[in-house]
Amino acid sequence: MQKRIRRRYAAERRFKFMGLAAVVLSAGFLAFLLVTMLSNGLAGFSRTEVALPIDFPAAKLDVTAKQLQNRGADLALAGAGLDEVVDKAATAAFGEQGIDIISDRAWTEVREALKSDPTLLSRKARIDVPVSQDVQNALDGGGKPAMRAIVSGMQAKGLFSNKFDFGFLTSADSTDPTNVGIWGALKGSLFTMLVTLLIAFPIGVLSAVYLEEYAPRNRWTDLIEVSINNLAAVPSIIFGLLGLAVFLSFLNLPRSASLVGGLTLALMIMPVIVIASRNAIKAVPPSIRDAALGVGASKVQVIFHHVLPLALPGILTGTIIGMARALGETAPLLMIGMRAFIAQPPEGLTDPATVLPVQIFLWSDQVSRGFVERTSAAIIVLLVFLLAMNALAIYLRNRFETRW
Amino acid sequence: MNSFALLFLVLGLGLIGWLTGRARAGRLIRAAPKRSHSRPGQHAAYVAMWTALPALLFLTVWSAISPALVRDAVLETPAAASLPSFGFQRDSILGEARMLADNPEAGAFNEEARAIAPVYGAAERRYSWIGSAATILLAFAGFAFAYSRVTPTFRARTRVERTVMLVLLIASLIAILTTLSIFVSLLIESARFFAVVPITDFLFGTHWSPQVISSTDPGESLGAVPLFWGTFFIGAVIAMIVAIPFGLMSAIYLTQYAAPRVRRWMKPILEVLAGVPTVVYGYFAALTVAPAIRDFAVMLGFQYASSESALAAGLVMGVMIIPFVSSMADDSIAAVPTAMRDGSFAMGATRSETIRRVLIPASLPGVVAGMLLAVSRAIGETMIVVMAASGAATITLNPFESATTVTKQIVDLLTGEAEFDSPKTLAAFALGLTLFVITFLLNIVALRVVKKYREAYE
Repeated sequence: MQKRIRRRYAAERRFKFMGLAAVVLSAGFLAFLLVTMLSNGLAGFSRTEVALPIDFPAAKLDVTAKQLQNRGADLALAGAGLDEVVDKAATAAFGEQGIDIISDRAWTEVREALKSDPTLLSRKARIDVPVSQDVQNALDGGGKPAMRAIVSGMQAKGLFSNKFDFGFLTSADSTDPTNVGIWGALKGSLFTMLVTLLIAFPIGVLSAVYLEEYAPRNRWTDLIEVSINNLAAVPSIIFGLLGLAVFLSFLNLPRSASLVGGLTLALMIMPVIVIASRNAIKAVPPSIRDAALGVGASKVQVIFHHVLPLALPGILTGTIIGMARALGETAPLLMIGMRAFIAQPPEGLTDPATVLPVQIFLWSDQVSRGFVERTSAAIIVLLVFLLAMNALAIYLRNRFETRW
Repeated sequence: MNSFALLFLVLGLGLIGWLTGRARAGRLIRAAPKRSHSRPGQHAAYVAMWTALPALLFLTVWSAISPALVRDAVLETPAAASLPSFGFQRDSILGEARMLADNPEAGAFNEEARAIAPVYGAAERRYSWIGSAATILLAFAGFAFAYSRVTPTFRARTRVERTVMLVLLIASLIAILTTLSIFVSLLIESARFFAVVPITDFLFGTHWSPQVISSTDPGESLGAVPLFWGTFFIGAVIAMIVAIPFGLMSAIYLTQYAAPRVRRWMKPILEVLAGVPTVVYGYFAALTVAPAIRDFAVMLGFQYASSESALAAGLVMGVMIIPFVSSMADDSIAAVPTAMRDGSFAMGATRSETIRRVLIPASLPGVVAGMLLAVSRAIGETMIVVMAASGAATITLNPFESATTVTKQIVDLLTGEAEFDSPKTLAAFALGLTLFVITFLLNIVALRVVKKYREAYE
């Protein structure tokens, strides 16, 4: 008897331990994922710079200090051959390999430095410029042995410094990992989300109002219900196929445009919004409706003056969660051609654009070592946005939700 | 005038209609308060509605048909007589002409395009002028009509509310329309595919290599069985081996054992797993998990372990699915009445015995439905397999070998440079249709299971 009880208690402990292990392992996986991304990605926000001595008077740049303050400064400096001056300075400072040490966009940094301080033209100066990917690889302990030797020599002299890379937040895609930025993708995401919100929110809320407040129970409304519930579970890639077949090849809308992306995602998250709004409307107690009807309000007045305002926190929470889902979605956008290489941020809704998750996907395909850090950095930005949206949803729910 | 400016103009007129309608109604009602039927706001809405709605409707229809009208007008001019009589070439010349008309600096391939561009521009301007004029006229006509009807006895409310209801109905019909258009577009494209490739070859063929499609027998290299197997193997076997025990056990632990405080914190944390974008999981699988699994496989003695193994994609997918299984199980366990649990305890059962013998059997329909939904979610998952699984279609039982899935192949087929009508692109739609039908059936079955077998307690 005692033995049996011991055995049963041992089984009990084992079972409890298995449950605990499942929870801990799942949470551990999440932690592992986040830590991996963070440790990879934080380096992606910074860049290594090397102090490059340039003797401007000796270089004889054909520009005046006055020109540098005009709007044509960029053109004047490019015309005066600033890029060659910078390359020469690099060769002079770092030897034969000098050009390979600095990044291709190093001269644009020098240009900005000149524009902000035109007095540089008349003296020698040390300007911090970004290093090339080869040097970056060598610093991380990879790359070509020859480069590693050069770099370790320079490192001993303390020529390198690590700075936060503002270019990563303000420029668009590029083929060189030291030059890439996420602003283009972020802007594309913004445009796409705008279209999605403008389409999905009104239609979703209005159809929820119809289904909850007006719909008679018959075969037609059952059909609407069934299709909404099923749409919520349709794989997202199917919506991409729909976008391709209907928006691109039937309606001839422009390929890769954020307009089409937004429409496709709107169809995808509409069911989420409808279901959330219906639950929120359902939660408004009938006594409110009865009271309003009792003092002579019409049905439309009851809905728009009383039911909807009370249901709004719930509706907004559902909408934000749906928008967060749309923001992280990749597959349907690949289908409608948003995976093109786009080096210019989009200017309008019909311009070719890409979005943040697709940018992450595109960078993840790149072989260059530098893209690993950039990809993880872009993932961090995406996760920060999603976290902010979810936090807002939770805040709205806790702050405004009324328990009847 | 472009259609955006026109849209805002019409909306502005609508607003003016609202304001004037309200002012007039307010004045009239103040003069005869006893006889009035509707509130000033309702009269205002009526006027605004008549001002904006017909004009907007016309604008939508017009922007759909006017490109075709412009095209026909251009083709009727003498300048277009020299164009090739039919087909692609003429379309491309016309397309370039339109581009040139919008932006004269752009370059053109065809010299003819430069010649017709002014004609095209003129026709475009003419039709755009007609369209704008008609829209504005319609807006004013609607306004005049509605404004003249604003009297105290006029039943504006009834009419406005009927329109509101119509708008609500149309909004809710869009859900049906979406489902229908998914189904129809997939069906049409698939029908075109099956006209070229016999359906039996597609469904039962075991050889998949869309890179080389023979023109005499296209069905020979488009057999989808390896894809179905890969999808099933990754999504329904490997992922579920991870997701079901983890999801179920964490739901049990959090509902039955954990202190309320632990539960309050751990439940949202687990749900974050479902909120992480799939592209992040895919990147993680490709960058971290897949190489680790390959090394592990080599250590075990598999010489040819793939770095794009089925196991890597399946494992990560399983982790992503954990919260789905866990929250469904959570709900259905919580729905079992406490009396049953207490009864079991009173008979001397331990907690784990109660859970295994009483709670799980009682909540089984919900748990099973949750698993079916999880499977449907897993086989439709795209980014993880696109990034971590391979493109080689093999039928294998070895999780360290590579396997491909339906979703991965859809992406691969459609992101090449292929034209829209080749069997290759159409095959993607046939695969999409298969995927849609399977996930649809899984959802229906899951809902039926819940409805039919759920015991009604209380």
